[in-house]
Amino acid sequence: MLLDVDIASKEFPGADGRKTQVIGDLRFALARGEAGALVGPSGCGKTTLLRIIAGLDQDFSGRVSLPQGSRLGMAFQEPRLLPWRSVFDNLKIAAPLASAAEIEALLKDFDLAAHRDEFPGRLSLGLARRAALARALAIRPTLLLLDEPLVSLDAALALELRERIARLIDETHVTTLIVTHDLNEAIALADRIFILAPRPTRIAATLHIETPRAKMTQARARDYEQEARATISRARGS
Amino acid sequence: MLGLWQAAALVSSPRLLPGPSPVLAAIFEEARSGALFTNLSATLARVAASFALAMTFGSALGYLMGRRRLADKILDPWLVALLNLPALVVIVLAYLWAGLNEVAAIGAVALNKLPGAMVLAREGARAQDPLLDEMAQAFRFPLSTRLRHVVLPQLAPYLAAATRSGLSLVWKIVLIVELLGRPNGIGFKIYTAFQLFDVRLLLAYALPFVAIMLCVETFLVQPFERRLARWR
Repeated sequence: MLLDVDIASKEFPGADGRKTQVIGDLRFALARGEAGALVGPSGCGKTTLLRIIAGLDQDFSGRVSLPQGSRLGMAFQEPRLLPWRSVFDNLKIAAPLASAAEIEALLKDFDLAAHRDEFPGRLSLGLARRAALARALAIRPTLLLLDEPLVSLDAALALELRERIARLIDETHVTTLIVTHDLNEAIALADRIFILAPRPTRIAATLHIETPRAKMTQARARDYEQEARATISRARGS
Repeated sequence: MLGLWQAAALVSSPRLLPGPSPVLAAIFEEARSGALFTNLSATLARVAASFALAMTFGSALGYLMGRRRLADKILDPWLVALLNLPALVVIVLAYLWAGLNEVAAIGAVALNKLPGAMVLAREGARAQDPLLDEMAQAFRFPLSTRLRHVVLPQLAPYLAAATRSGLSLVWKIVLIVELLGRPNGIGFKIYTAFQLFDVRLLLAYALPFVAIMLCVETFLVQPFERRLARWR
């Protein structure tokens, strides 16, 4: 297993001083090269979970294990590029070991070559997301973490980026964990879907997507969606 | 301004307000003897040293206070005390404790500028974007990268403001320090001119110095600020 997550509990101090458990007994693992998706409604603690996995929040009981020397490539919901540096510099600063040629090639792959010297403030959200994704890949990540990669993009752009990410996973075989509220997005991108239930956040059901990403049709996706919804309502019922 | 000066010089006595040409003549006289340059460079060196000291320690301490609650708690009373301590008290105490020497002079000026730099750096540290901080942490940026590419660019406008207000404060206080206890510098020459009631000599030293500080502001501080704001 490349990523092994075993969180017993994560608590936040509530308004009345008492602690509220936000994540409880949540366990899952990803094999090398596998793409997983954590799916749940907004406000169900997905971002907290992702922050724990990324090592940004260490105040929880349980453990997250990754092989020694793993590199984490993260694409945040807000692109979080350094606004005072060009697109090229943003990649170079995050990945000082990558050569200029490697970075140029990456920018070309993401159709960003024309924006190489622009400051991120001048980019549209779609372009900035792509730049942030390119930055996450520039460090040659062992694990790629994507936080709502398609949220607040218009439908055409979201579809375009979704296909790009699907291609990227297939071509690089990078182990990927996607956090999203959108079941269809997860079906299109992931090999395995972990459906989250809220308060405290835990995994309610797991769904395998057998169809390869490149062969996913709308009809197949709809079948998976129905299967997922049935699984969710069964999980609620029990 | 020159015309106004000339007009005012005509109606007042030449002892109280000499016109532009006698002052210019005095400047040349002092320049020829070399005294103007020795004193100007002594003062400028003090300005540079105390300014650099105050900015370095002020930014570091202020940043720490903005980021660490404990540091803020410990240092805040000192900051308030320093902010409200009259410059003259600091200067006289420094001379009394450390003697009439260069260390006391530069230290006293730096100590006067320090709290201003601290306040601005603390503001800057508090205004840092937590999202970028987290990004730097997620990508495991080494400390030097984090300082140079994440912290400093966000701190820069605050440091620029501290530079601007600091430079003008520092050079004014350097003159007082020189007047009170140094054997050279513009402040010392102004004190001599005061004792001799020589307004011509006083202006001959004050004007070139003001001109230099104006040049520093226009050709160093302002271009630096524009460079910082390029990405906006």
